[in-house]
Amino acid sequence: MLSRFPFILVAACALSLLLFTAPSLLAQPRSPTPPVGGPVSADQLLQQLPQIRGRVAIPVPRASVLIQPRGRSWRVFHEATLPWIGGIAIIGMLVVLAVFYLWRGRLRVRSGFSGVAILRFAAFERFVHWLTAVSFVILALTGLNITFGKWVLLPLMGNQAFSALTIWGKYAHNFFAWPFMLGVILIFIIWIKDNLPNKVDANWLRKGGGLLGGGDPPAERFNAGQKIIFWAAVLGGVVLSLSGLTLLFPFSVAAIDGMQTADLVHAVLAQLMIAVFLAHIYIGTLGMEGAFDAMGTGEVDLNWAKQHHDLWLEEEQAKAKSPDLGSRAAPAG
Amino acid sequence: MLTKRKGGEPSHVRLQPASAGMPAGTIDRRGFLRRSGLAVGGLAAFGAMEFGSIRRAEAGPVNFQQPVETRKNICTHCAVGCTVTALVQNGVWVGQEPTWDSPINRGSHCCKGAAARELVHSDRRLKYPLKLVNGQWTRLSWDQAIDEIGSKMMDIRAKEGPDSVYFLGSAKFSNEGAYLNRKLAAFWGTNNSDHQARICHSTTVAGVANTWGYGAMTNSFNDIRNSKTIVIMGGNPAQAHPVSLQHVLIGRELNRANLVVIDPRFTRTAAHASEYVRLRPGTDIPVLWGMLWHVFQNGWEDKEFIRQRVYGVEELRKEVAKWPPDEVERVSGVPGEQVKRVAKMLAMDKPATLVWCMGQTQHTVGTANVRASCIVLAVTGNVGKPGTGANIFRGHDNVQGATDIGLDIVTLPFYYGLTEAAWKHWCRVWEVDYDWMLSRFESKKMMEAPGIASTRWFDATDLPHNEVSQKGNLKAMFVMGHASNSITRMPDSVKGMEALELLVVADPHPTTWAVVSERKNGTYLLPICTQYETAGSRVASNRSLQWGEQIVKPAFEAKDDYEAMYLLAKKLGFADKMFKNIKVENNRPVPEDVLREMNRGSWSTGYCGQSPERLKAHMRNQAKFDIVTTRAPKDDPEVGGDYYGLPWPCWGSPEVRHPGTPILYDVERAVMDGGMGFRPRFGLERNGQTLLAEGSYPVGSAIKDGYPEFTMAVLKKLGWDKDLTPEELATIKEIGGANIGKVSWATDLSGGIQRVALKYGCAPYGNGKARVIAWNLPDPIPVHREPIYTPRVELVARYPTLPDKQQFRVPNIGFTVQKTAVEKGIAKQFPLILSSGRLVEYEGGGEETRSNKWLAELRQDMYIEINPADAADRGIRDGAWVWVTGAESNSRGRMKALVTERVGKGVAWMPFHFGGWFMGEDRRSKYPPGADPIVLGESANVITTYGYDPVTNMQEPKVTLCQIRAA
Amino acid sequence: MARMKFLCDADRCIECNACVTACKNANEVPWGINRRRVITINDGKPGERSISMACMHCTDPPCKAVCPVDCFYQTDDGVVLHSKDLCIGCGYCFYACPFGAPQYPRTSNFGSRGKMDKCTYCSGGPEADLSTAEFIKYGANRLAQGKLPLCAEMCSTKALLAGDGEIIVQIYKERVVKRGYGSGAWGWKTAYNETIAT
Repeated sequence: MLSRFPFILVAACALSLLLFTAPSLLAQPRSPTPPVGGPVSADQLLQQLPQIRGRVAIPVPRASVLIQPRGRSWRVFHEATLPWIGGIAIIGMLVVLAVFYLWRGRLRVRSGFSGVAILRFAAFERFVHWLTAVSFVILALTGLNITFGKWVLLPLMGNQAFSALTIWGKYAHNFFAWPFMLGVILIFIIWIKDNLPNKVDANWLRKGGGLLGGGDPPAERFNAGQKIIFWAAVLGGVVLSLSGLTLLFPFSVAAIDGMQTADLVHAVLAQLMIAVFLAHIYIGTLGMEGAFDAMGTGEVDLNWAKQHHDLWLEEEQAKAKSPDLGSRAAPAG
Repeated sequence: MLTKRKGGEPSHVRLQPASAGMPAGTIDRRGFLRRSGLAVGGLAAFGAMEFGSIRRAEAGPVNFQQPVETRKNICTHCAVGCTVTALVQNGVWVGQEPTWDSPINRGSHCCKGAAARELVHSDRRLKYPLKLVNGQWTRLSWDQAIDEIGSKMMDIRAKEGPDSVYFLGSAKFSNEGAYLNRKLAAFWGTNNSDHQARICHSTTVAGVANTWGYGAMTNSFNDIRNSKTIVIMGGNPAQAHPVSLQHVLIGRELNRANLVVIDPRFTRTAAHASEYVRLRPGTDIPVLWGMLWHVFQNGWEDKEFIRQRVYGVEELRKEVAKWPPDEVERVSGVPGEQVKRVAKMLAMDKPATLVWCMGQTQHTVGTANVRASCIVLAVTGNVGKPGTGANIFRGHDNVQGATDIGLDIVTLPFYYGLTEAAWKHWCRVWEVDYDWMLSRFESKKMMEAPGIASTRWFDATDLPHNEVSQKGNLKAMFVMGHASNSITRMPDSVKGMEALELLVVADPHPTTWAVVSERKNGTYLLPICTQYETAGSRVASNRSLQWGEQIVKPAFEAKDDYEAMYLLAKKLGFADKMFKNIKVENNRPVPEDVLREMNRGSWSTGYCGQSPERLKAHMRNQAKFDIVTTRAPKDDPEVGGDYYGLPWPCWGSPEVRHPGTPILYDVERAVMDGGMGFRPRFGLERNGQTLLAEGSYPVGSAIKDGYPEFTMAVLKKLGWDKDLTPEELATIKEIGGANIGKVSWATDLSGGIQRVALKYGCAPYGNGKARVIAWNLPDPIPVHREPIYTPRVELVARYPTLPDKQQFRVPNIGFTVQKTAVEKGIAKQFPLILSSGRLVEYEGGGEETRSNKWLAELRQDMYIEINPADAADRGIRDGAWVWVTGAESNSRGRMKALVTERVGKGVAWMPFHFGGWFMGEDRRSKYPPGADPIVLGESANVITTYGYDPVTNMQEPKVTLCQIRAA
Repeated sequence: MARMKFLCDADRCIECNACVTACKNANEVPWGINRRRVITINDGKPGERSISMACMHCTDPPCKAVCPVDCFYQTDDGVVLHSKDLCIGCGYCFYACPFGAPQYPRTSNFGSRGKMDKCTYCSGGPEADLSTAEFIKYGANRLAQGKLPLCAEMCSTKALLAGDGEIIVQIYKERVVKRGYGSGAWGWKTAYNETIAT
């Protein structure tokens, strides 16, 4: 870098000189002649309005915002509040799960495996689940990278590599948003009928789902915990999708303040959902013996079903006796 | 996926067609041109550009390892006269720097000046000569084009006489170009030679010259720094002359001056005013006389100034008495108290200056408006001193020069008129035989008859032959640098275009001439370079001449004005005569030589002292001139004591070293310091009252009173003829022949008479009084006359327009049109007043600026300003499309609505720079491929209507009627 | 070291847009990228003011704080610059910027909005001073040549001041004292947490 300072000083001084070289300095003070309408200042306008807008020659509506101090509060939220919310929610959840694991260990099928399997999720259902799940995990990781990467990965990787990673992460985030949105829609369609809350759920919840001991309460195809996951996926997914779309197409849906809000909603909700789905992942894998098969092979052990979804199992067995239902609910041989 | 760019997307589309159209193999040295062609392709596709880069280098960047040259030229837009400093590397204009040294702009520009570089680089320029063959643009060589055009002109001449060809010149010419254009018309044999001053300040020139001598801004932009009251009436310099506001606002701040804006619109200038007066469009005279009513009522007039220097104030009192406050308010809408307040500032808070632009001039009463303004200044003693004056901001970079040089239907160069004496003067300068010159014309009568105004050319084409006072109707237009969409009544001018046998447009851009009509043949487009690609002098509004040097060579196949006119003159067979004393190099007349010839003939206006050498010295020494006085220190070896740009009149030959005249009619300085009295050009007395100054004279004058213009007879009477040198005397004798006494300061080619007058501290033109009564004008004292199309029909009976009359070879039937409009109830069908004006981003007809991507991006759509109340009545939203219909020719235009309180209720306003649409139809496809401006739009003048000032045939684009409805 | 700032005197600004095209000219900024713009408030009414706005080169710049890849840096002169090599085109800086300074070559965020572009205070970017690479990515580097940004240098009424903060405040204050009114330094409170008494 060249030595700039003296040049600049000279330029600035020259500017100041030429501004006041006119000789007709005030002979006697006359009263000022301010423009019609009196003084107008930014501070005064900002006391009345959240942002200052006006007319601008270019036909770009967003350019007509002169000052939007809300950018500053958005920044504070984004850089201070949001990481705390996300950090507490996600790390907190990991801690809770770890504590739970240490306390209760893996939840076993109490009566052991029967060796008889029953179809719990058909191929399409598993496809929908994994479509959504994989998208979600990618979105979550790339999203977390956007928020936390500069503190976690950047110091490890250096600017160039981290930027390259984040660019690809951003592409991934944008592209996997679409399968995720499709997954959310399909989840809603295929599982809504099994996820309407009822009295069984109230009982299940009262008993803490049996997770804290005291036996497994009765449950239908989906217990209340799973229904919560369902609704979290559907409602959360919809809000994430809408806010995400707002951000994906800047200024076509909302103006700057709407986009700031959309970003906050998207980020906070995404981090909360990550926390919730960590629990879902835990219970579907490490936390519960026999659970993963439901989404793995699609078939679960009869004893597992009896323990966790007794009412569903009864229903399935009843249906299997009724010939007109065909093969759909037929237990696998 | 361009979902967001709602406004931007169409512009994106607009940018695309231009990527075609680089002529293969014709551009040699200019790698940058090829690159700029590519760059636009890239620009058009930048939405799809690869991730790594968002921008492409176009002409830049500067290579700092290589030498960079700095060249200075003058901005080619308004008449403020900002110096443009260009950085040139390898023949490419790579950058612009602020010109801190210029006392006029001090580094500043408006958006147009700051985008000057792109005018030269624009790939939307005309690249080679084209002609229309059965509706298709066909490329041809310059030689072939000139040959065909010349032959056709001579055919038309043989059939219809020389007056059937019209030479429409330009305020965009340099002085040298303007001079050659006027000379070309003279050598061709017609006075049909005009330019934009007709539609700009022709009424100013007529009004001001008829009051005190010269038709020009009396003071300067810089001098406004001395004012204590600045009244801007009918002007929006914040947008039309932005850099002038530097002087206005700084002066206003330092002096805590009053800044009054009187305008129908709350303009960007009004936003800075300490007092804003909203008047009904077209009621300037009632407001001015309303102010004088208070002045006379309170005895605020400058009695001593009037006694010494003003003629006819007693008559004026009678007219002013008709405008008491209630009548002023009834007609103009301005409350009496406000009128009084402004009158008091003007008369008592002195020095006060009055600034005006098109708001006063573009009216059927334009000359009268201007005269009334001058009279207000004269009566309050606000002229001829620092901080005072009629500061008329002219609109084009050389409109003052082109006017002075007589690109005009009523005069030869420098206001000599068209009399036999005038022709003989110029024949002497040109060294051609008067009889030969006479033979070029239809007759001596036509040689001395004013030509057709540029506002009326199409009437001379369309009207029956017996209504046009020349041998034949107009058959050919030779247009150099003038837009057709600047002229009112476009539906009629389109008909006129279709009736022409030959239409030649010599311009950097095709202009609307090329696209608005349904012509299929006989249209030629000649690519002319900008002033940045050639050299020459131009005159700023403050009468300063500035020399611009060539920044880069002409782009593509463009030629400069000089070369184009030389080629045509050669084809027409009179180049030898026309360029007898002008050096021609490679078909290009040398501009310095053209200026020297002008110096030799321009005694009347004092363009005689500004040799190219002196002008170039000023450009080299810009930093030495004071920002307020514009004067250089007396001891400077090159420019000592000169005022910047040698503002005319700069008396005598260059050797006399007159410093120029920074303030006209200032008697508080010596003539050799730029002082003078008013010019007595209307006789010595009238009705027993003297027209010469009484007891007022420039400092150091040997004659301590008024005196007439200097002639040989006057010199002899004073005994000063002895001071003439033998050579001077010989020249005077040769000119005067038997009548040597009549040889005057203006016709003495030796400059001796001027030199002697200066020696005795006298202004060569005399020392007279300003005229309140101009008995040679239709209204010797201005009277209010309602616009032709007025919403206030009840006022027409009392304030009718002037009777119909044949003017400038065509009838002016304004009276009939006004009467018919009232009878037909036009004001009921078209209830909104429509006015028009300028934007800062564009200029004139706008082709050049709308082709400049940096400017075009800022204003992408034609619009009309409409008051929120009128918009609500019509269900019109801000930004929505509307149809505007006009009172004549079933005219209609489609544009966007800008709902704003800038305009009052009942008033609408349009910018006049758009073109390329006609009556709602987009004519982009009619442009030669690749030469279409980025932004097109409906022209304001599609809607404007009849109405011509009787003195100059100025058009009336500032007041007409219209209706607006949602589209 | 100088602390470079912009100050727009709204009582001088006339919306001539010279700053806008000067910026385009100096930096060869393409169509659709508006590093600087002029906004008029109270349009057409008494109290109308025009203000030229670009990146204010804030103290503690919000764009820098929110950038997920940390591509911003502030020079010793206080100028906020960024690296286009690192920028991922996410748009966060636009949300955070109180002045609407960041610009993007693409309108859609799908994939990426392209490398962000903004006012560089005519001082280029991380590449070598006055190199072609610097010009192509960021535009001119006038500061390295001892010149101020072209927008302010070409301002028609000297409304837009650029230079060391203390000097331009001094100029502005003198002006206010001379003329007797002033509407303050627009955006300074938001950008620098500083107000200028008028």
